[in-house]
Amino acid sequence: MGFFDDTISLSAPPEGRVEATAKVTGSGKYSAEYEVASLCHAVLVGSTIPAGIIKSINVGNARQVEGVIDVITHLNRPMVPAFADEAKIKEARFGLPVFHTDKIYFKGQPIAMVIAETLEDATYAASLITAEYAADQFNVDFEKSYKNAELKTAGKDRGTADSWAETPSVVEAEYTIKNEVHNPMEMHATIAHWTAENELKMFDKNQGVNNVQRMFAKLYNIPAEKIHVVSEFVGGGFGSGLRVWPHCLAAVIGAKAVKRPVKLVLTRPQMFTLVGYRPESWQKVKIGADNSGKFTGILHQARHATCVYDNFNEGITRIARLVYNFANLRTESATVPLNLSMPTWMRGPGDCTGDFAIESAIDELSYKLNIDPVQLRLQNLALEKDPDSGKKWSTNFVDECIKLAAEKIQWQNRKAAIGAISDGDWKTGYGMAVGMWNAGRSNASAGIKMLKDGSITVQTAMTDIGTGTGTAMQNIAKDATGISKEKIRIELGNSNLPPAPSQGGSTGLSSISGAVAAAVNALKMKLAGFAAAENDTYKNVVGADIILSDNGISYKTTNQQFVPYSVIWEKNNLQVLEVEASSAPGDERKQLAFCSSAAHFCMVKVNTKTGKIKIEKMVCAADGGTIVNEKAAANQISGAVVGGIGMALMEEQLIDPKLGTAIGNDLAGYHFAVNADAPIVEVIFVNKPDVNSNPSGSKGLGEVGIIGAAAAIANAIYNAIGKRLRDLPITPDKVLMG
Amino acid sequence: MERKQSFSRRFFLKTTSFAGALALIPPKAKALYTELKQRLIPTKEIMPLTVTINKKAYEVKADSRTTLLDLLRENLHLTGTKKGCDHGQCGACTVHIDGQRVLSCLTLAVMTTGKNVTTIEGLADGDKLHPMQQAFIECDGFQCGYCTPGQIMSAVACVNEGHTRSVAEIKEFMSGNLCRCGAYNGIVESIQKVAI
Repeated sequence: MGFFDDTISLSAPPEGRVEATAKVTGSGKYSAEYEVASLCHAVLVGSTIPAGIIKSINVGNARQVEGVIDVITHLNRPMVPAFADEAKIKEARFGLPVFHTDKIYFKGQPIAMVIAETLEDATYAASLITAEYAADQFNVDFEKSYKNAELKTAGKDRGTADSWAETPSVVEAEYTIKNEVHNPMEMHATIAHWTAENELKMFDKNQGVNNVQRMFAKLYNIPAEKIHVVSEFVGGGFGSGLRVWPHCLAAVIGAKAVKRPVKLVLTRPQMFTLVGYRPESWQKVKIGADNSGKFTGILHQARHATCVYDNFNEGITRIARLVYNFANLRTESATVPLNLSMPTWMRGPGDCTGDFAIESAIDELSYKLNIDPVQLRLQNLALEKDPDSGKKWSTNFVDECIKLAAEKIQWQNRKAAIGAISDGDWKTGYGMAVGMWNAGRSNASAGIKMLKDGSITVQTAMTDIGTGTGTAMQNIAKDATGISKEKIRIELGNSNLPPAPSQGGSTGLSSISGAVAAAVNALKMKLAGFAAAENDTYKNVVGADIILSDNGISYKTTNQQFVPYSVIWEKNNLQVLEVEASSAPGDERKQLAFCSSAAHFCMVKVNTKTGKIKIEKMVCAADGGTIVNEKAAANQISGAVVGGIGMALMEEQLIDPKLGTAIGNDLAGYHFAVNADAPIVEVIFVNKPDVNSNPSGSKGLGEVGIIGAAAAIANAIYNAIGKRLRDLPITPDKVLMG
Repeated sequence: MERKQSFSRRFFLKTTSFAGALALIPPKAKALYTELKQRLIPTKEIMPLTVTINKKAYEVKADSRTTLLDLLRENLHLTGTKKGCDHGQCGACTVHIDGQRVLSCLTLAVMTTGKNVTTIEGLADGDKLHPMQQAFIECDGFQCGYCTPGQIMSAVACVNEGHTRSVAEIKEFMSGNLCRCGAYNGIVESIQKVAI
């Protein structure tokens, strides 16, 4: 079965995504759902202390449980070649060398794994495993530790700090954000199957099959082509699928040990410690402006948590260098190692955090200057060139985003005076903020298979984590070939298909659209080669002159010099015509800078007695170049805004500093926005092509929908009640006590 | 007075020692329980189960610990019903039992004897999608699609329950089904479309 559901043919298929039927009928297979013969189930056991050494593990009772096949620990695991010794472990850069160390780095670190015939057997047996440790001192307290992490310059200074010391209006404040956890609805899962001595097949939840393939090739020192990774349906990622995590390797180790395919599905509590999170952060922002509102300078300092066994720096201060003109600028950062698990990129990594502080500070400055926040931003935007690299923007329509969103929410109804719109205990406020993200593009490949009836299958290894990659590929292929949608199938999320980068950092569509365009061109030229035998016109043509239809090839206009596919297939005795092509960014990236952007506008009601915050309206206008699929793009943006609502008002991974552990680690303890927490989010697109970005003119939209959303909400709360809340999430207690 | 006092003292000593003994018992009981748990490893209990799923009668043997969710996904390979938390906190596993929306992760399989279970796989009528499935496609009521079967099963129930009089009401009665992609716009729109 492919990304399409071929098993269900509908009498009247509705207009929607290519994989829509598979998703609404439940037939699409996510990684834990494949039927594999003689599959067994694995359950991980986590350490009960945050730091120390394992002295002994009692697995005897677990082994007695009916159905248990094996129990894996660091004492009996088959060795991963890349973890042969300490030096090799370091070199592998895998992070936690699961089952290859007796050291404990965080609470919940996998120390054992039960493999059994059924999930119930494995789960019960896992509950019987105990360990003795030599416990060490530990520290999981970011608040108490961050001051000790020495700030270092992050990027080149602009101007000098002294030159704006005497600026008439300066705001300076500190901002903090708690750990946030991705928590995609599908829990991470791996089915690992050694199909031969050195051949591995995996059904795995991730955001990049080639990345997983490369990692296991390195870990087991086998050629990448011997590793087959399938990730066709991915139940959300938000960054958590960009790394290969310990549980994934654990499943592979387990399958090696028991010589059977092993399925390992994380539990929801394990999702809080084994697949990353957005690390807790502290920031200080100092911004100055002259009396006209022109920014004179910025100092942006940031520190965030990391773990002790690996390093992670998400670049919180990057955004300070991107959006506005600051003649004087200094950015500093540091990381704070704690005895917690490894943090990782989470939607809008770094920028999302940094943007909250900067956009809050600018809002504060607007009140100080008595200038409308919209006006203040518009007059300071760096619209001509990227202030950091000095390169001209290819396109930058952040100003249009601001104007479009302001109009939509009817910004003129906002009152500059605090709490001016009031209805009993409920105060209404308006707020806004902008977000921006470097619009990147990577090398990617795509393939096309064509049949005699003119139907094509467009293929790539890239995943579709819910962004609509497959549908966008179909749209692009349809426009570039002229073949109708019904005849275009999509295959993706499989390492046997043409290689593609991981789907992250808003680069997916930008990268794959170039590859699909290149593959279409290759198909046209190959068909022209065959057609030349029938018609001399095709002897010397370029791809742009060739038009395809459902039935055949034409020159310049439809049906001119027409050669039917049936003739080409019959004369050449063809079954399937196959092409593959890749595309990559070129010199344009050396000369120009690329960005996607968004403006978030928000109207909130705040209850001054209970501290409850109701988001009445949320508008996001975004610049993502040409919008290839408006429905999916709007969905992507509104979904990211919903993520921003969670970030602003509720998401907080609680850490117990005494126990050294994450607490409330399930979906009752960790809240993100449910349906009733979000209004109907209104989305508008600038929808102007960026012709330099890639052949489709699109720019990535995955991140900008969340970058700025939290600041817009916090700014609206200030407008409503006059409290500048700088510690996320803004829970009712902070509204009342702040 | 004195008598009363001595009585009180004795009473005090008696009661405190009793309380002290009580205080001592829990950790001992706990230790005993842990020891028993470690020593007595119960064998699993397999029970026969007759249940109708998507209008098809099943006679299966189920582990007494197996949830309806795991029975569907692991034993019957009806993987359309999703596991999002296994704790009744996310709604991804929503199915209908005798027409009511139910969390299959909080339902032991053996509890469904004699019941009628409908899962996402049983919602369409042959090659004709249920109107709610159709609406979810047209309104793009999902992104990654993982919470979607649960959303659709809840949405069908939400309409049947009559909780669709306003956007706010739909949102309230659909808030047991989490969507991390945040596709709530499309979910609400789909329900409005079917409810009319």
